[in-house]
Formats: sequence, structure tokens, C-alpha cells
Amino acid sequence: MTRSPLVSRRHFLKATTVAAAGSTLLSRAPAALGQQVRELNVWHTEVEPQTVKTIQDTSIAEFERKFPGFKVKQQALGWGDLNTKLLASLAAGSPPDLTHLNPFMTASLYVKQLLRPMDELIRALGENDIHEATLKLQYFDGKYYGVTHAMGATYVCERRDLRDKKGIKSPETFDDMLKLCAALNEDGRHALQLPGEKLYIGFVHPAEWLASNGGTWVDANTWRPQLNGKAMLEILDYLQKLNRFQPAGWSGQKYLDTLAALSTGKIAMAHLSGARTIGYIEKYAPENLRDPEHFAPLLRPRGPSGKTGMTTLDGENWAVFSQSKYPNEAFEFLRLFYKKEHYMAYCHSVPIHLTPIFKSMLGDAEYLSHPRIKKWRPWHDVMITALRDKRLLPLGFTRAEDNALPFLAELDGSSIVADMVVEVMVGQKPPKAEADRAQRRAEELLTQLGHKRWS
Amino acid sequence: MRPNALAGWLLLAPALLLLGGLVVFPVLYNAWLSLFDKHAFLPVQRFVGLGHYVYFAHDEEFWNSFAHGLVYAGATLVLQLAVGIPTALLLNEGFRGRNLLRGVVLFPYVIPTIVAVILWKWLLNDAYGLVNHLLVASGVVRAPVAWLGKDWIMTSLVITSVWQFFPFVVVTYLARLQTIPPELYEAATVDGAGAWRRFRHVTLPQTRSVLFVIVLLRSIWMFTKFDTVWLMAGDGGVSRYIRTLPVYAYARSFTYLQAGMGAALAVIMFVMLIVATAVYFRVFERQEAMS
Repeated sequence: MTRSPLVSRRHFLKATTVAAAGSTLLSRAPAALGQQVRELNVWHTEVEPQTVKTIQDTSIAEFERKFPGFKVKQQALGWGDLNTKLLASLAAGSPPDLTHLNPFMTASLYVKQLLRPMDELIRALGENDIHEATLKLQYFDGKYYGVTHAMGATYVCERRDLRDKKGIKSPETFDDMLKLCAALNEDGRHALQLPGEKLYIGFVHPAEWLASNGGTWVDANTWRPQLNGKAMLEILDYLQKLNRFQPAGWSGQKYLDTLAALSTGKIAMAHLSGARTIGYIEKYAPENLRDPEHFAPLLRPRGPSGKTGMTTLDGENWAVFSQSKYPNEAFEFLRLFYKKEHYMAYCHSVPIHLTPIFKSMLGDAEYLSHPRIKKWRPWHDVMITALRDKRLLPLGFTRAEDNALPFLAELDGSSIVADMVVEVMVGQKPPKAEADRAQRRAEELLTQLGHKRWS
Repeated sequence: MRPNALAGWLLLAPALLLLGGLVVFPVLYNAWLSLFDKHAFLPVQRFVGLGHYVYFAHDEEFWNSFAHGLVYAGATLVLQLAVGIPTALLLNEGFRGRNLLRGVVLFPYVIPTIVAVILWKWLLNDAYGLVNHLLVASGVVRAPVAWLGKDWIMTSLVITSVWQFFPFVVVTYLARLQTIPPELYEAATVDGAGAWRRFRHVTLPQTRSVLFVIVLLRSIWMFTKFDTVWLMAGDGGVSRYIRTLPVYAYARSFTYLQAGMGAALAVIMFVMLIVATAVYFRVFERQEAMS
């Protein structure tokens, strides 16, 4: 016996067609209603899920309420991937409307007239309230071309309890650091570990070492590289000695491996850490050690020719491209992003790592009341000390004026400095010979890039 | 033109267009690009003629990368053959579980490169890797070996690559082994030939042509291998010790942002492989004629 179907074929087809047409229309409702859906593309480098959610729930939600025809599409990128992706999008003629930018790339893009000035926005945010450490990083020919999203810093993260047990004061100089390492290298535990990534040992740390030893990447006037100058040779000598206190395979390990090694007691100091490290410690260190009495930040020591130990200010800036499709809306979005309640929530999404750029907020009771800041207050205090003592420089800078160098991205990408550091440290090659080789390669590179100003 | 010829060309046209667009044009464009000093992403370029080629002739990094490539391709090729051929011979024999084993042997070749490399890096890690744990526990070494450090990174890369690619040798060689008439082995056995002599006088001559193809393909593929090498240490300080020409070409294009130079390196590799292949063919043909 055949049963008649509950829904006839004709009815089924009719219903399906109506549903498909309806859902198509609904998804394009604004367009169907004569209102065009426009997408504001925002790229940034804060990949933590809670940060992405915070941006979505605060600035984006308010923006979309205020501008009903717009949809904001945020894309969180690891900052190591940012440069390549940005440059590719620029080449394709479709950059995001608003993006984070590494300060060392800004000059190169400004020179090519790819950025829009944002003086009006800066004034609206409060020019005098933005911390001096970030305010003029993207300031060219009397105009602002960027505004830092938040400030973080890199430190050496040490096992403070181990140093205290030895009765050694915090290291001020390269020599102090070597002595501390010698004291902490015991019982199968290594004193220190640098991250093996080229980006860090070939760009971020060398910039810090140079800045801490009175050196610079290039001569201020001629832009001739200074990789075999006195400052760098002293640094290489220091690094060669420092290598004795590291695990043999460090150059093949990554930043996160060093944090794992620190949390689990295999090393006494991780050379690269930031406030994000706190999350790692809270997750992986033994429960009785998860506090700032055991894990604390150390500012970088200075070299024999330097006056102050300098450290990296980890803070990309927001930028709007001249090719942006919706520049005005991008600036409107930024106004909402920095609106106090939104910005507070943003900074609290990764406390201390995202320290506010506004001086008025640094001591703000509401900002400081966050439980993690309360518990890890010494980490916040070190950040404030570094800001007060002017010990911070943007990532990859050896001096503030490096923001005018249009070739730092290429120098970073070239491996020239990383090769030199690895050969001297791991290969134990003579510093002078390696420095000369790096100098020759860097001169060739700048010549090829058309930046040779020396004769 | 005769109508038949015209029809022939028309029928060939789609294939020619595809081949021209997807193979010939990129190669020619790459060669053209190599004559320019061109930024990878920004519209900045300047004609430099053969300047890049002259530069690389004196570039220490180029020759280091070339040497690393030779060592890598040479070592992995020899080891793939050394592991792959005996495995194929074994799998050609009849025993219980042979089909299962044939499937298992293929496993490294079918998993994605990223998985293979992450797996091996995890196994070889000197802080928490299983290999070091076993070596130390069994007393073979007293301290963990820095497999991913300067002294061992090339060895680690070769081990990973051989593990990943020897199944290709197994499958290809096994396919040929299965077509050798068993009568040849029976005759050799009747003549008193042992296992080694049967291999030397029956198997090897019968598999010469497939060995030729295996050596040709694997040497080209290993010399131009990018992903495994890059994933092993591409963004690390030790990359210096395993940087091969494809990695150097990538770096010139996408991290130095010098697309023209990257293109020149690609052309150089292309020419090197063409020359090596031509020589290899010539040698093989001569030996074939002699035999």
C-alpha cells in the first residue's frame, strides 16, 4: 500500500523557493530597503579571544548602532604576520580601512604617501594627555599619522626568590647580568634563555642592546649601518659570554618555549617576557609560586658604553591609509574605541600588557582596581617606572629618531643581524669578523634599497 | 593550412592556452622580473639587467644556501633509497600482515607536512622531547642532545625528510618489482644464485629505469623543497644552518622585500635543475646503450 506524502512535491518546491528567496532578501535587507551595507575593515594585533570579544561588544557595537549602514569586520592578526599581509593588501589596492601598524613601518609608508594625517583625532583625544612615550612616534612634518592603541613593555622575567636567596641586587649593567647568571646557573638549571626566533634575536633585542649601550642601527646623518662599531662589538662580546648560561638548544626554541621553561623551573630567567607572561605563570607554574614574589620583571641592564638600560615599548599604532574606502568612519570608530568605558574594558582585557596611553588613566582608581593588576602590582609599577625614567623605545628602535628610517622592516626581514648574533653566540665565532660581515651585508642591502647616503 | 591541421590546432588550443598561461607565462614573467630591482609589494621598480645575477655570483649567502641545498638533497636522497629499496623488497615478499604493513608504510607520505614537522620537532625538543627522554633514560647520552640547535639541526631536518618521503621510493619501486617475471628468479635460483646475486643480476637491471625516475624526481624535489625546511627553522635563529636556495629565494622576495632578487634566484635554480637533468639523462642514455 502506498501512503500519500504529508507534503506534496509541488508544495515542497514552492515552500523551498519562498524560503530561499526570503532568506536571501533578509540577509541583504538594508540593500533591499535601498540602504547599502558597507563594511569597515579593521585589522589589529590583539589576538587574545577576550580582547577580540571586548572590542566587538564595546566599540564595534556602539559604532554599528550609530552608523546603521555599516558593519565592522575586525581581524586579529599575529603581529609577525601583519607586515606581509598589509603590504600585500596595499599592493592589491584594497588595504583595510583602519589597521594597527608597527612603528618601524610607519616611516616607510609615510614617505610613499600612503597614510592619512589624524591631527583632528589626536586633539579630540587630548594631545596633552597622551603619554610622551608614544605621542610623537608617528609625527612627520608637523602632522600626526598614528596613535598608539596601548602600551606594553618587554622585560627579563626572573625567579625573584632565587635571586633573593643569593642576596644579589638587580643587575644594572651587562657585567652585573653575567655575575647574576653565573650565580643562578646550578643544579641542572640554566640561568637564562633567549627566544630563538629571528625576529627577537635579530631585531627586537639587538635594538634594545644597542640603545642600552649608546649605539644605533645607522649613522644619524649618512644612514651608514653601525653593525661593526664599538657599541655592537661590546654587545657581541657580552652575548658570547652570556651564551654559557643558556641551554644548548636555545636557538631552536621559541619565545613560548622559554616561558614554559621558566614556569616549570628549567631556567631562572626568560630574556623576553611581558605582562602576558602572567597568564602563563598562572597556568603552568607550581601553585605555590604563582605570585610576583616568585616571578618578577627586570628592566634591561646597560652596556659599558651606555647610560641606561632600554627596553621595548610594545605598542602598535592605529593608522588610516590614504586608500581607505571609509576614512571618516575609521576616525569615528577610533573616537569610540578611545571612549573611556570602552577603552577601560579594552585595557582590562589583558591587564598591564595593555597599559593605557592616557596619563590620566595610569593612576586611575578604576583602572587599578582590576584584580589582576592588584595581585601583580609590581609588574604595573615596573611599567610606570620605565615610562617615568624614559627607558622605553618602540619595537626595533635604537633611538626615538629611528621612526624616520624607511628600511627597518627590510633590515628585520633580512636576517643579517640574526645571523651575526647566532654565529657569535652559538657558533662562538669571533665577534669582529662576524660584525664586519654583517656590516658589509647591511651596506649592500641599503644600497640595493636605494637608501645609501654615505660615500 | 589544411582543414585537418586547422582542426588539430583548434583542438589543441585549450590545452596550449592552459599550459601557456599556467606554466610558460609565469616562468617567462619570472625571468623578466629578475631583470628589475623591484619591491615585493609596492610599485617601485628599476631596470638592472643582469645585475642580480652578478651580485649572487659573489654573494656568500647564496653559496652557503647552495651548499646546504646540496647536502640536504644528497643526504636525503641517499637515505630515502637506502631505506626505501629494502623496504620495498621486504614488502614484495609474501608474509602475514603484508597488506597492513604496506598501508602503514605509506602513512608518513600522506600526512600534511606541517603535521610531520611539528611532530618531529616535538619528539626532538631538547627540553621535553621523547627522543631525548629515551636516550637519557637508556644511558646512551648523559645530557639531552640539542637536536634543534646549530650542530644537529641539519641532521634533524634530514631525519624528518627521509621519514616523510621514503614511502614514495617504496611505492614506486614496489610497483616495478611486482612486474618482474618470477621465471627470472626461478632460473637464477636453478643456476645457483643466492639472494644477493639474484638482487644484483635480476632485480637491479630490471629496475634500472624506475630507479632513474626515482633519483631524478626525488633529487629535483628535495633540492627545491621549501615547506619542510621552512617549517623546521624558517623563523628561527638556527635557520642559518639549514637555509637552502628555495628558502633564500623566499626570504629575498618576502622578508627582504626584494622581488626581483627572489625571481633571479628562482631562475638560477631553474637553470641548475635543467642542466643537472640534462647531464643525468645523458649519462643514463650512455649507460643504457652500453648495457
